Amino acid sequence: MRLFWEITKTSYQRYLSYRAATIAGLITNFFFGILRAAILIALYGTRKEVAGISLQGAITYAALTQSIIGYLSLFGWVDLMNTVYTGQIANDLLKPMSYFRFWLAQDLGRAGVNFVFRGMIVILGYSLIFDLVWPQSISQWIALTLALILSWLLSFSWRFITNLAAFWTPNAYGISRFFFIFSWFFSGFLMPLRYFPDWVVKLSYLTPFPHMLNTVVEIYLNLVQGPDLIMALLYQLIWIAVLITSGQLILRSGVRRLVILGG
Amino acid sequence: MVFALNIYRRLLGAQVRGQMQYRASFFFEFFGAILITLFEYASLALVFDRFGSLQGWSLGEVAFLYGLSEISFGVMNLLFGGFDPGTFGIEIRRGTFDQYLLRPINITLQVLSSRFVLRRIGKIGVGLGIFITALNMTSIHWNIAKIIYLPMVVLGITFFFGSLFMVGSTITFWTVESIEVINIFTYGGSFMISHPMHIYPNWLRRIFTYVIPAAFLNYYPALYFLDKPDPFNLPAAASFAAPLAGIIFIFISTAFWLFGIQHYQSTGT
Amino acid sequence: MNLIQVNKLAKHFKVFQHHRGGFGALRNLFSRKYNLVRAVDEINFNIGAGEFVGYIGPNGAGKSTTIKMLAGLLVPTSGEIIVNGFIPWKDRQNYVAEVGAVFGQRTTLWWDLPVIESLSLLKYIYRVPNNRFNENLLNFRKLLDLDSFLDTPVRSLSLGQRMRADICAALLHDPKILFLDEPTIGLDVVAKERIRKFMKLINREQGTTVILTTHDLSDVEKLCHRVLIIDHGKLLYDGNLNKLKTRFGGNRHLVVEFSEKYPNFIIDGAKIIEQSDLQTTYSFERGTITASELIGRISAKYRIRDLEVREPDIEGTIHKIYEEQLLT
Repeated sequence: MRLFWEITKTSYQRYLSYRAATIAGLITNFFFGILRAAILIALYGTRKEVAGISLQGAITYAALTQSIIGYLSLFGWVDLMNTVYTGQIANDLLKPMSYFRFWLAQDLGRAGVNFVFRGMIVILGYSLIFDLVWPQSISQWIALTLALILSWLLSFSWRFITNLAAFWTPNAYGISRFFFIFSWFFSGFLMPLRYFPDWVVKLSYLTPFPHMLNTVVEIYLNLVQGPDLIMALLYQLIWIAVLITSGQLILRSGVRRLVILGG
Repeated sequence: MVFALNIYRRLLGAQVRGQMQYRASFFFEFFGAILITLFEYASLALVFDRFGSLQGWSLGEVAFLYGLSEISFGVMNLLFGGFDPGTFGIEIRRGTFDQYLLRPINITLQVLSSRFVLRRIGKIGVGLGIFITALNMTSIHWNIAKIIYLPMVVLGITFFFGSLFMVGSTITFWTVESIEVINIFTYGGSFMISHPMHIYPNWLRRIFTYVIPAAFLNYYPALYFLDKPDPFNLPAAASFAAPLAGIIFIFISTAFWLFGIQHYQSTGT
Repeated sequence: MNLIQVNKLAKHFKVFQHHRGGFGALRNLFSRKYNLVRAVDEINFNIGAGEFVGYIGPNGAGKSTTIKMLAGLLVPTSGEIIVNGFIPWKDRQNYVAEVGAVFGQRTTLWWDLPVIESLSLLKYIYRVPNNRFNENLLNFRKLLDLDSFLDTPVRSLSLGQRMRADICAALLHDPKILFLDEPTIGLDVVAKERIRKFMKLINREQGTTVILTTHDLSDVEKLCHRVLIIDHGKLLYDGNLNKLKTRFGGNRHLVVEFSEKYPNFIIDGAKIIEQSDLQTTYSFERGTITASELIGRISAKYRIRDLEVREPDIEGTIHKIYEEQLLT
């Protein structure tokens, strides 16, 4: 466990030093959030509430998703893939900890920097322009915190799998990008899933993606409570277990392949 | 000129063959580009029923803007791909830009033909699809003037964003730090003009009307095509400024680009 | 006739002082404090057609700045360069049509395409006539042994293969001048040797003028008749490689194997630096005594079975010049 935190710390410091990139990302996130909020405001018009979400809630949705997108890194992440192509992976596989946990630790550092220096700043910025909704009770804050942690774990397990494609093909960037596109839509990043027709919602919930983002949104906006909330968190846990297990299986056959090819 | 066109064609051909080397990857990239454009539009189209209108604009009318913007930005991305500030910045950092200076052909021609990303064709295709549904959902009164003006709008938007790409790339001659911020104007600008300008906060709309003339590219021409009144009461000529904006911008950015090359040659990196 | 004329050539760079910390980036935008670095400081040289010149110096000495100016990539601060009748940066397109360049770590070839396709693209870019192209390609394929990877995409080539392909690409249009920047960096001995042999041949047979910068002094030793040494932006030496050794080469060694044992092997004018059984190594100073004089003295006293004169290696020589700044 000490090694885990050591790696996290190093990774945190490394990402902290990419100051220019963080600032650029922050400004871009902020700008797109304003556009998305403007579209939602225009759609609402004189309506007070649509699909259980108030206008204020909709604006908060835009602000919240723009703030945590860096933390969850759903836009694409190819760090692991790059190490397969540079050959760095050979050293990483020899580290005295599981390959998954090694990357998990690194991603925790990355997520931490993005949460603090992008997420918090972006949402505070929005709170200056817009009248945002905030969680109302201690229990809602606790649930939100749990959901945020599980979302990151789930998003990481998913990104881990997509990056393993690099074991099979010399140019897996297009493949991973292809899969990330599904997470954009089905996670509820483009629009809150509740707005969509029933069949789209049902389709989304066949995938792990809503549990990466939409769950956080719904808990934040207090749209799920009581047993439903417990179920929502439970679903996140189940999907984490499923993705981690599949990731391990895929990794194992990937490593076997790498060893055979001597790559 | 014939020589330049011939070289351009051959270099583009090389790009195409290069991308075809990895068929699986190409397949995923191509369909990925289609899917992402489709998903983004669908996220608006599928929820539209619940809301009825986007501040007075029907889905068909928004789709008109959306399709036109996607087509034009896609064409721009295809033609000006070499000037994408993100990838161009990498060339500057790695020093591969020097290769262009070592070849006995025009530098701008080489950059223009250095990146022809085929998957953009998928994006353009989806844009066309959206545009056609827009035509079905609206009843535009077509006349000769509108038919002639439509491709000029596409050209105007293409040149406009192409010139922003050129400006972004030129800036990388001085600094590659934070060059991603230019995405606000390019990708952000294209997202912005995919929706009617009157939905944005006044301060934002004014910046993108008077400082960066993005409103004249798509919104004002659309008012003309759809016979809608201008809520901001600009002169009628505003609807016909798109090609002019494109041409003025491409002239300015080309001058800046050539100045940038000179600067690069006098300082290196 | 001089193909390359360089007069009082200088290149100064402004190195801006960077601010660190949170607002560093912002302050960098406004603060214009800088240090002036004289990367190349008024150097002069001429190079004739057909020469093979080594251009060497430690890292940051101004080597690559000079080469970039010669190739037309950089505009000098002052001074003049005339190469092949052109001012490189002024008439860039016409100038580079008669120049070939290989910049070690970067490739001119199209990364995703098979080598042969890159070569034929270059044919169009340089407007090489068909028959000339075919003739050259046939020749280079043989000499550089390209056949086995001509259809392989560049990204899959080994470093040595890529370098051979790049050298071929740089020569297809029969350039009068070839700039080679670190062409053997990272290559194994066999690959290095193959490339050296080829460059020597091109220089001799086609009369191509070659300017070579390298870290590997054995490149220079094997290829260059003339060497330019630069350090801190100033030209320290311009001349024959052997003369350089003569001037700064330190002592030469004479290794002698005697036929029989003697009580001592002392000789005037030479120092014994190593002795084992019948073999003795003498060190003697250039200028004080010649090798043949020394051999004469030894053979007058003792019976010799075998001997060998060892020249000091250039690596040591150059090192000594940099370290002790002998030329300044």
